[in-house]
Amino acid sequence: MTVTSLPRTAGATAPRRRRSRIVLARLGGGLAVLLPIVLISTFISYSLGALSNSDPAATILGQDAATPAAVARLNRALGLNHPLIVQYWNWLTQALHGNLGRSYFSQIPVAQSIGQRLPVDLSIAVLAIILAVIIGGGAGTLAAVYRGSWFDRGVTLACSAASTLPAFVVGIILVVLFAVTAHLLPANGYVGPSTSVPQWLAHIILPALALSLAVSADVARQLRTSLVEVLEQNYIVGAKVRGLPYRRVLVRHALRNAAGPALTILGNDFPLMLAGAVAAEAVFSLPGLGQLLLESAQTRDIPVVQGLLLVVSSFVIVVNLIVNVTLNWLYRTDDGIGT
Amino acid sequence: MSRTELWESRPLRSKPPESKPRDSKPRKRKGRTLLRMPSVWIALAILLGVAVLTVFGSTLAPQNPLTINANALFQGPGAHHLLGTDYLGRDVLSRLMAGTRLSVLTALEAVGIGLVLGTIPGVATVFLGRGFDFAANRVTDALMTLPYIFFAVAVTAALGNGLVQAMVPVGILLAPFFFRITRAATLEHARAQYVEAAELMGASKLHVVRVHVLRKVLPTIAVTTASMTAAALLAVSFLTFLGIGVQPPAPTWGGVLSSDLDYLNQAPWAPFIPGLLIAVTVGALNALADAFRDRRTPGMLAVPEPLIRTHSTLEPADDDRQSQVA
Repeated sequence: MTVTSLPRTAGATAPRRRRSRIVLARLGGGLAVLLPIVLISTFISYSLGALSNSDPAATILGQDAATPAAVARLNRALGLNHPLIVQYWNWLTQALHGNLGRSYFSQIPVAQSIGQRLPVDLSIAVLAIILAVIIGGGAGTLAAVYRGSWFDRGVTLACSAASTLPAFVVGIILVVLFAVTAHLLPANGYVGPSTSVPQWLAHIILPALALSLAVSADVARQLRTSLVEVLEQNYIVGAKVRGLPYRRVLVRHALRNAAGPALTILGNDFPLMLAGAVAAEAVFSLPGLGQLLLESAQTRDIPVVQGLLLVVSSFVIVVNLIVNVTLNWLYRTDDGIGT
Repeated sequence: MSRTELWESRPLRSKPPESKPRDSKPRKRKGRTLLRMPSVWIALAILLGVAVLTVFGSTLAPQNPLTINANALFQGPGAHHLLGTDYLGRDVLSRLMAGTRLSVLTALEAVGIGLVLGTIPGVATVFLGRGFDFAANRVTDALMTLPYIFFAVAVTAALGNGLVQAMVPVGILLAPFFFRITRAATLEHARAQYVEAAELMGASKLHVVRVHVLRKVLPTIAVTTASMTAAALLAVSFLTFLGIGVQPPAPTWGGVLSSDLDYLNQAPWAPFIPGLLIAVTVGALNALADAFRDRRTPGMLAVPEPLIRTHSTLEPADDDRQSQVA
């Protein structure tokens, strides 16, 4: 790192050697925390299969062909004769290479059937996050700026109401309003973006709206609380006194410092959004991961269930890592390390 | 509008009438202000109603929830069927009343599991040293990355289709919330000076936990229990909505909703009834939790803790910050 890339307030920075040591310690500490999380959550996901009292070999072979010799041969082929911890390790290393095994019934690779359905949930979830940021962020900011007004009270009331309504109820209400009564949008089905982008949007907007509502409420509530607090700080008053335009003060000074809790809640609510996506799939009959999960749970297709749990919890971890990195960037200090 | 006006618009913070004599017992007065809030009254009334339905629901039901009547399909709310009939002509009110018990009891099952698995390590971790604390926190973080619906459905794949089985993982996944809140609250009190003084006087750890810590932590646990019960009820109705763990004719809240979904063209108003029932019950629990929390930290919304704490737990200074939040 060259001297020119240091922040302008170089006098306040730590010596370079100490800085790199702090950064390394942070990275090491982060890994020390993250690695156990990944290992534990994947182990829980995998060991569900071992909990199962079903006999996969007998299921695959069928009643007639399941002679003890055939069962033993198949168990060896599937690697089920090893101890659980060895099975888990083989599964995890294979998963890191993109191989999640094959379905017991259809013999289709698990990674393939998950890959086919992932775009559905991904489009709904991403659109829902965008909607939650727009709706929740907008409502929270306006409520804080006009605090005490009728708008503020309306937002508070709407947030309380929205957080009691589960995504599947909201979804059904949206179907009744926009599809059954008004015939504005399709009530079910999915069209890929490669076929037709407007059709794709029309099919995912209602599900995304359904699962973004509760998250929007959480975001709005957190943002309002922290923004009200920040707006009363001296530096905001100072910036206003110095004649900076209000919009600039609000965005550059206030929102940047108040966004932390709202961002955190967005990451915390991500598992909730995935649950909402399952609900949305059921309400709008979309061919997504939730449907795959329900089907494979009914048929006890353990490799598919394990693969789904792995993919879903990886998504939660990645999204929350992004949130943490963004939080560090938001709260960065002059020495460039962050809190 | 000025801040003072806002201040006075809240019933909780309105000044007590001056003619009243000063109360000598502050704790008693606190309880009374809580009961004076209309939202608490309404919430308690709703929860009492749900409790009655849980115990007597199937006996109080005006009609048999399973009786099929081909002459009365998709009837709107009326004198004979107060909340109308479904696609088989079954009485919706009776089905909802009879379905209350399973929904509420399985929700309580999950909360009970979470309460036990979360609070006991939460209190213990403060006294068992850094190694246990680190391990317990990593397990907590790992559990928080597993979405409960996926986990619950996956467990039914392993253990068989049943609501009681399905709610065990939900309870396990509620435990991290209990754990974190109990741990933060315990830390706050375990490091207080009077606890130090008690320890210096020779009090055992068990005595400190029982007398000094547990009593202070219980209100926090109560608030969490209320909001977690709300979450568990949502989980139950969601699972029954997906058809997990219920044999078809048996009535449940989520099941009524999901059968309404297939006949939206015939009866678009039907899903609003079970939807409203779920929302009102969940809302009552949340309102109760909010009222308790608001009394302890007026007007404050707790700063949320990130799901995965990349380095906060490695810095002891952070423990103090967390305990202030809780």
